[in-house]
Amino acid sequence: MNYFLSTLFLFFCLQLVQSQERYLTKNGTITFFSKAPIENIEAKNQQVLSIIDTNNGSMAISILMKSFLFEKALMQEHFNENYVESDKFPKATFKGTILNFSNISSSPSKFQVKGTITIHGESKEITIEGLFSKTASEITAIGDFTINLDDFKVKIPAVVAKNIAKNIKISFDFNHQPFQKQ
Amino acid sequence: MKLLSKKGILFIFLIIAIIGGVIGFKMANKSHLDISSSAPKITIQATQLIDEFLINETTANANYLDKLIAVNGTISSIKTEDENGIISLKTADDFGSVLCHLSKEATQILPQIKIGQNIQIKGICTGFLMDVILVRCEIINQ
Repeated sequence: MNYFLSTLFLFFCLQLVQSQERYLTKNGTITFFSKAPIENIEAKNQQVLSIIDTNNGSMAISILMKSFLFEKALMQEHFNENYVESDKFPKATFKGTILNFSNISSSPSKFQVKGTITIHGESKEITIEGLFSKTASEITAIGDFTINLDDFKVKIPAVVAKNIAKNIKISFDFNHQPFQKQ
Repeated sequence: MKLLSKKGILFIFLIIAIIGGVIGFKMANKSHLDISSSAPKITIQATQLIDEFLINETTANANYLDKLIAVNGTISSIKTEDENGIISLKTADDFGSVLCHLSKEATQILPQIKIGQNIQIKGICTGFLMDVILVRCEIINQ
């Protein structure tokens, strides 16, 4: 009986260890692309923090707005000062759940993530589709989706309105690794 | 009395338009801050930097965001992601470090650098997630 109990206890402990498993990346990539008649605008952020809890498939992403690097300094300045107001709203976040998380295998296939995205202090429910794969050493997530600037109350001055598309394409590329304390 | 002929006025307007055009073009295409030739306004220890963010992120953001700063610290890890070097500096915090994303040029020096050595790095601070993040970093001292 004692043996049975201790085995049970051990099993429970193992479960607990497993259930705490988290995968994360501190250098995920997010690029956004705005196609407009005069010039295309593109920016890249390679410091995105993304965490996946393998216990329930929940996903949390944090993005520093100042980390978006543009080709032209002026574009970056306008983006930070006028459009997303990154001094007031330094971060964008996403919190959600990967649907059917347990079905993710080592070969990349399509999964949906449902959650809330917050940019410029405005939140919106969103479902994003991406290619996910999972092995013991990594979980990858790659995909793209479109957001509308109006949803996040990002105001574009009328003078430049025709240079900036309302719909912005956002691409992501995350390679999560098991979390270990450094 | 006629001070200027029509041609003269047109000519002056043309000059103004050209100057305006050049200035406008220069402004629209102004280059990013040249990190390697700029002197950082603030020099700080990695541990102190992360402490300031942990204590009050809003104040720390106001002090450091978008600024060129120099950070002293001990290297806890080095890796290369997407051909860009990333050096993390040890701090007293268990989870956080100062993550320095190196420029293309600084990445070339990476083979000469070892974990555990002291280093001074300058870069633009973009904020705090789990770590304080610096981008476009250059190595000052190793």
